[in-house]
Amino acid sequence: MDNNKYKFDLSKGFFFSNLFAFTLIGITKLVNAQSGVIIFSEFVIIPIIMGIISTWYWKDLNLKGKKVTGLSCLNAAFAIFLSFVFLGEGVICLIIVSPLILAFIITGAFIGRSMWEKNNSNLNVSIFSLLFMVFIADSLSQHHYENMVSDVVVINAPAKEVWKHVVAFKKIEEENKFWLFKVGMPSPVAATVDGYYEGAGRKCIFSNGYVFDEKIVVYKAEKDLTFDIFRQPRDPEIMGHIDILKGQFQLQDNGDGTTTLTGNSWYRLYVFPLWYYDVWAESITRNVHLRVMEHIKQLSESK
Amino acid sequence: MFKFVVKNLGFLKSVPVLPLFFDGLLRLQYFFTKPQLLTWLDEIEAEVSTWDGTTLATHKYGGSQFNFNDKEIGHIHSNGLLDILFNVEIKRKLIAEGRVCDHQVFLKSGWLSFYLKCEDDVVYAKKLLLMSYLQKKQDVKQQ
Repeated sequence: MDNNKYKFDLSKGFFFSNLFAFTLIGITKLVNAQSGVIIFSEFVIIPIIMGIISTWYWKDLNLKGKKVTGLSCLNAAFAIFLSFVFLGEGVICLIIVSPLILAFIITGAFIGRSMWEKNNSNLNVSIFSLLFMVFIADSLSQHHYENMVSDVVVINAPAKEVWKHVVAFKKIEEENKFWLFKVGMPSPVAATVDGYYEGAGRKCIFSNGYVFDEKIVVYKAEKDLTFDIFRQPRDPEIMGHIDILKGQFQLQDNGDGTTTLTGNSWYRLYVFPLWYYDVWAESITRNVHLRVMEHIKQLSESK
Repeated sequence: MFKFVVKNLGFLKSVPVLPLFFDGLLRLQYFFTKPQLLTWLDEIEAEVSTWDGTTLATHKYGGSQFNFNDKEIGHIHSNGLLDILFNVEIKRKLIAEGRVCDHQVFLKSGWLSFYLKCEDDVVYAKKLLLMSYLQKKQDVKQQ
């Protein structure tokens, strides 16, 4: 085959699949401008259709499976880069989303390869219609999801001592262990408080200067500190796709000089599918908890 | 990993597209960690497609399925797991050779599995597929 035609067909596969994807995402954003929700179909149906579209342009090139896989990875890389440029998504957010996009574009490419090989128009129209129906149904559906993550640490110090470091704590100097914090995701570094009473303001400060403004709603000394988060940064990274709603530290005196510290966080997710993003959200929230709670443990036990 | 998913999450295989997605994940993994495996899969596909009357399709649980006269010769998942259906007698003989094993789900059937681990295994995989192909061809003649 003529080398120029080969390259031209490959380019058409990349171009039209991405054009389709970003047009559809653009329309979805216009329709759902207020909600800020990114629906399941944008991460599943669109990449599948991208894979199918790309193989339509590549069908005469007699590409082997390995080549289709490699080209699909390249296609996903273009889509991810374009998301960075046009959708303003952050690097960490794109790291998180990339396995999903890569695998679904590959899946779509192999579905497409089979479709174009069979060349059964009825089947092909049915597949496209089904995918579009799922997309439309998903776009018109309500998306609301909240979850709670809870973690427990036993501290070798009495509740009275632990409580001193729960309400506010000085800067965390210890190096981050969680890989997402290491690659630049903001991690908690300190907490300050206006006063030690219900209704007092509290601030949780993150490594890049982000501040979560909180209000203490339950203040039971040595037992329970609960705070609502009323203002949080919205940036292109995952924090733009999740809202932390409420936080809580509960202390239980074990009667043997140790204290069980429980950290709870409630959050709302704005990205779907949940079976993928909730795993990440839980993991990130858990690592935020543990970083703070390990710090509280260290401060309490060093006395 | 594959065995864990089949054993513990196998009930999800009837969810549309999910098995294909899982196979896509395997393909993605091996593209970066063991790209020669994908070359071997291509080599097997290329060989089988030269046999008279064979067609290639996507297997319902992910991977490539080889057919003769609309009957399955065998299928291969993107982690290099080849599954072929023989009769129980042939399966017993092949297991005695020591290179194949029972299918991970249908233990008592004629299904057997063979893992592609090195380049030499490609030759054996082709041999197994050829046996199945010739058997299917003979079945069609006898009908």
